[in-house]
Amino acid sequence: MSTIHSRPDEFIATEHKPGVWERSRRARTAILYLLPSIILFSVFVFYPMFRTIYLSFFLTDQAGDAAVFVGLDNYKYLLDSPAFLNSAKATLLFVLYTVPAGILLSLFLALLANEKLRGIGFFRTIYSSTMGVSVAASSVVWLFMFHPSIGMFNRFLALFDFPQIQWLLDPQWALVSVAISTIWMNTGFSFLILLGGLQNIDEHLYESARIDGAGYFYRLRRITLPMLSPTLFFIITISLINAFQTFGQIDILTKGGPAQSTNLIVYSIYREAFVNYQFGTASAQAVFLFLCILVATILQFRFGERRVHYQ
Amino acid sequence: MKKRMRIGFIMVALLALILAACTNSDPGAAPEKSGSGTDDGDKKSEAAVNDEGKVEIEFWHAMSGSGQESLDSIVEGFNESQGDYTVKAEFQGSYEELLTKLRSIGGTKDAPAIMQVFEIGTKYMIDSGYIEPMQKFIDEDGYDLEQLEENILNYYRVDGELYSMPFNSSTPVMLYNKDAFKEAGLDPEKAPETFADVIDTAAKLKTDDMYGFSMLTYGWFFEELVATQGGLYVNEENGRSGDATEAVFNGAEGLNVFRFLNEMNKAGTFGNFGTNWDDIRAAFSSGKVAMYMDSSAGVANAINSSPFEVGVAYIPHADEVERQGVIIGGASLWMSKGIADEEQKAAWEFMKYLTTPEVQAQWHLDTGYFAINPDAYEEDIVKEKWDEYPQFQVTVDQLQDTKPSIATQGALISVFPESRQQIVTALENLYQGADPQKVLDEAAEGTNRAIEIANKTKQ
Repeated sequence: MSTIHSRPDEFIATEHKPGVWERSRRARTAILYLLPSIILFSVFVFYPMFRTIYLSFFLTDQAGDAAVFVGLDNYKYLLDSPAFLNSAKATLLFVLYTVPAGILLSLFLALLANEKLRGIGFFRTIYSSTMGVSVAASSVVWLFMFHPSIGMFNRFLALFDFPQIQWLLDPQWALVSVAISTIWMNTGFSFLILLGGLQNIDEHLYESARIDGAGYFYRLRRITLPMLSPTLFFIITISLINAFQTFGQIDILTKGGPAQSTNLIVYSIYREAFVNYQFGTASAQAVFLFLCILVATILQFRFGERRVHYQ
Repeated sequence: MKKRMRIGFIMVALLALILAACTNSDPGAAPEKSGSGTDDGDKKSEAAVNDEGKVEIEFWHAMSGSGQESLDSIVEGFNESQGDYTVKAEFQGSYEELLTKLRSIGGTKDAPAIMQVFEIGTKYMIDSGYIEPMQKFIDEDGYDLEQLEENILNYYRVDGELYSMPFNSSTPVMLYNKDAFKEAGLDPEKAPETFADVIDTAAKLKTDDMYGFSMLTYGWFFEELVATQGGLYVNEENGRSGDATEAVFNGAEGLNVFRFLNEMNKAGTFGNFGTNWDDIRAAFSSGKVAMYMDSSAGVANAINSSPFEVGVAYIPHADEVERQGVIIGGASLWMSKGIADEEQKAAWEFMKYLTTPEVQAQWHLDTGYFAINPDAYEEDIVKEKWDEYPQFQVTVDQLQDTKPSIATQGALISVFPESRQQIVTALENLYQGADPQKVLDEAAEGTNRAIEIANKTKQ
């Protein structure tokens, strides 16, 4: 810092005021280095984003071009529309169902797999294997398991004489069913990241704690969790954003039904844009979703990060 | 330090602004683009000629499975039958996906010469300006339309003009389990005809393992059940005398249908198997439901995959009205505008080939879709198959018994996919115990909004 500050002083001493061109030299160099990523981001992120915001103020014609300027009408319509409020509610519920449960499950599995036992590599592979299955493929498998007449779950229930459940056809159950399959799909990734975090924790910490006579749960609470907190924070943020953006399993398992109970916002955007060709209202929903994720992420960084312990 | 950062930000913001400016100019550029498109049309672009000196055209379709196999062999047959043209059939995904792709290149010289578009996309295609009406070629060539099935042509005829060539056509039918009828002490040769009959029969057929009746949660079946009572879907004579402005399916006929379903649902004789064709078909062939509605194109498969005897019947109608018949479903073939004359000629020749009785007979047997040329039913291979499966006859009879009217001609609106989604939601809410009139009104309201936007943005 000091060297940077000293330079203008030298200029003043010689009574020579540097021009904007001269002063911005470093910035220009920086921009030059940043140019590749700026161009890439502009084309693939900023341009679509601004285009979306622009379209959200219009009604579009059959070809998808902006036709009638309506100002904020699309947003007003959304906030009045019971269908959209229902989508927002379903999305929130879905996040609540999948994120905490998914992370607890993968944390549990990661703790198990972190023990040094013979053949633990086998379990580590199994637990992380769902990462290798695509959303489409695993959704199709789940579709069979949820099938009302020939599905595995209902046959299992029938074995014990429990009443049959219409997994994907009953609005009470559909969102839960999709959440269950989503948790399963995401476990592999979360597990792998968390296991990596656990392996990084210094063994000496446990050793000294053991010497001091600390029990397993005390060590878990006082060493493992604090040391794992950056990883946990990362995986919570990623899972949250992923849950907000869930699409594939909805499209394959329920198509937003029954009675709109699984019509999450991203799916509703897809329907509005590519089935109904209303790019205006679809864009308004996209902007709304963007704001929601932005707020959620900011809140998380403000309140969640305080508990994160960086080494 | 801060200053430099600020300059950096300003530069990024500037870049973003430039991009945003490009965005603004987009709609302005669009008419220009279509302007040059018509230029191409006037000058007529060069026809694509392949290595062998034949005119080559593309044919976009949405047929998968046995439909695709059959279509590929028909295309091959055409390519071998003459020496001037080559047709390349390209599968483009579902009807919706095909239409989405078409939107980006429709009306340009890169568009495929022939596109297969589902029946409810008819209004959209007419309004789009991408297409050349079929009538032009029919008139120029003196093609005899009389040879084609009148009831199918009626759907695709708008203001007396045929806009597209009907191709794969199907109608709904009611399939039932004859063995279950016998077990319940019912006459397996006599299927229920009216709503009250169906409700009654469903109650008798209901057992612990089997529901009496079911219907796929899909807007098409609702449209058909309304039409067979003579009810309309939208105003302006079903959108055929002018642009429709309002949905009318929430009137008496629509309510009849919803009450009919509601009554069985409340009585526990109605099985809800969701929105997936395969699920409801699996339910029927595994004996979980005794009667259900399917497409005529699904009849062959139902007969083959069911371990019991399958009966085929006309779709039911309300008790107080006379049966009007069914609306054609399926898809038709459209000819592109703005491509070379030679290419259009090639496309026209291919369409004529498609409508010959021999090709139609093959198509009918391979897929279960109707033959648009009724002479096909006189072909020997069809007669043999019908002797084996007399059920096929019922589907054709139902179509030919249909009384031509505005109701059975089917509605024309450009926002049909959205409206169907509204109906699906209404049905799902109904099955959860909501009031029939209330959910119908909501669906009508949603459709009205879509129609309103479509009319507002139409140039």
